[in-house]
This record gives sequence, C-alpha cells and structure tokens, in this order.
Amino acid sequence: MVFQDTIKLAPQEKGATEITDLISAIIKESKINVGTCQLFVHNSFSSLLITDTADEDTKEQTIDFLAQLAPSCDDISNVINKSMESIPEAMRSAITQTTISFPIRRGKPGLGTWQGIYLWERTTQPKKRDLTITIIGE
Amino acid sequence: MLHQQKLRFSTTGRGTYNITKQVTEAIEKSGIKEGICHIFIQHTSASLILCENADKTVREDLNAYMARLVKDGDSLFKHKDEGADDMAAHIRTILTQSSLSIPVHKGKCDLGLWQGIFLWEHRTNSHKRNIAMTIMGD
Repeated sequence: MVFQDTIKLAPQEKGATEITDLISAIIKESKINVGTCQLFVHNSFSSLLITDTADEDTKEQTIDFLAQLAPSCDDISNVINKSMESIPEAMRSAITQTTISFPIRRGKPGLGTWQGIYLWERTTQPKKRDLTITIIGE
Repeated sequence: MLHQQKLRFSTTGRGTYNITKQVTEAIEKSGIKEGICHIFIQHTSASLILCENADKTVREDLNAYMARLVKDGDSLFKHKDEGADDMAAHIRTILTQSSLSIPVHKGKCDLGLWQGIFLWEHRTNSHKRNIAMTIMGD
C-alpha cells in the first residue's frame, strides 16, 4: 500500500520546530501499520532534522553550528554574487537533509525514545512550506 | 513482501563499526530477493554511513576530519550534561545519516565492491545501539 500527500506547513518562526506529532497524525490517517515513511521539503530555505528531544539546547546549538559552517557573509558566497543571499542557504540545505525516512511500526513513527522530527526554517519572513509525505507498507 | 526487525549493537567508544555482515544476513533470512532495505538508527548521537571498506585508514581519516570539524567542548555548546562529547555527537549525527536505503538484488545488499555499511558511534564511551530494519520487495 502507498499513501502520499503534500501538505502545506503553516509558516514557522526562524529556527527548528518539532513536527513529530503532525507527522504521527498523518501516519495514523494512512492506516499503514508497518513500513517506511519518507518526508521531503520542496525548497532550499528549510531542512528536515531528526534530533534530540530531551534538551531544547540541543536543537538550538545544532542549527547555530550548522549556520556557522555556511555563514551568511562568507568569502566564497561573496565571490559568487554579493547580492545572492540564497547561496549560504543552498549550502545549509546541502549539508543537511531535504528528505528523511524512518520506519513505521504499529502505525507510529519507529523513532528512538529521544528522537524527534524537526523542520529547520531559515528565513526571517516565514512562508508556508510544501512537505510531501510518502508512506509505503501494509 | 515486507520484513521488519531490529538489529542490536554494542559499541565501545567513538569510531566506525562495520555492520554489513549483520545487515546482509538479515536480508538473506527475510527471503526477499529484489527490493529495498531501509535501516534507521534510533539514536541522536550515533549515525549510519556508507564508506570505503578496504583501507581502514579512510575511516580513521574520517574520524579525524570530523573531530576537526566539530570540536568536543566547543565554547558554543551549552548542552554538556553528559560530557564534552555530548553536543558534538548530536551535530556529527546531523551531518551524517540516521537512515540508509540500499537496493536488494539476488537476496543480497547490492553494494559496490568497496562499499561497506558502518555504524558511526559519536560518543566516547560504550553504548547499546538499536537499528530498525525494514525490507520491502519480492
């Protein structure tokens, strides 16, 4: 069985927002109990992360670190085009994931105890984000 | 056909562990000949990679490179309840993979000759790590 849907995520503030509950609800709706789930974001200004849910600091410091790896005013991006803010964003997309997948077990995401699914929104003027969810299983 | 199971590993500190044999054996036992094998690590401080399996210095160099890229105890980090390697381990996980999808062909992992599947432990002490495996195909 295959279930696929593209949802519009409401605009999120800049930063990492947990979307595990939203995804769990869609999986429940699909009625697929065992299989895999793939998530895909349709833009290069946000990424998908699976990270620690126990301490809020973890996700904050992860995205701070990643943003520093591809800084907004980097020599490389300045060489390409000073006006192209999208270059560091494209790099941040490339070093993270625009697609993630995880198992489904007993009709739920088969995540570890401390794992959560996050959308890392990087623009200061948040937009609705298209996210495609594809669930394959039985 | 769909087969789902857990693989369990004990790690003994930071480094890469070749798990190709365990994954291949599980595929063989599943009886699925053609399809996709999805493996997902249920932790946020250990990850999965495909890497060269012939020369172990490749993985030693990967370790060294990662240690230079993400420094334990970086002054940026606030999340350090479990030690200087704690936050670095979460970031190392994000920069690599929590899941891998590998083709199954003739009942085996259809890897390249020099490819191996590795669990990358990012914590410096020993841990028990669970990998959820989903094989779909005929």
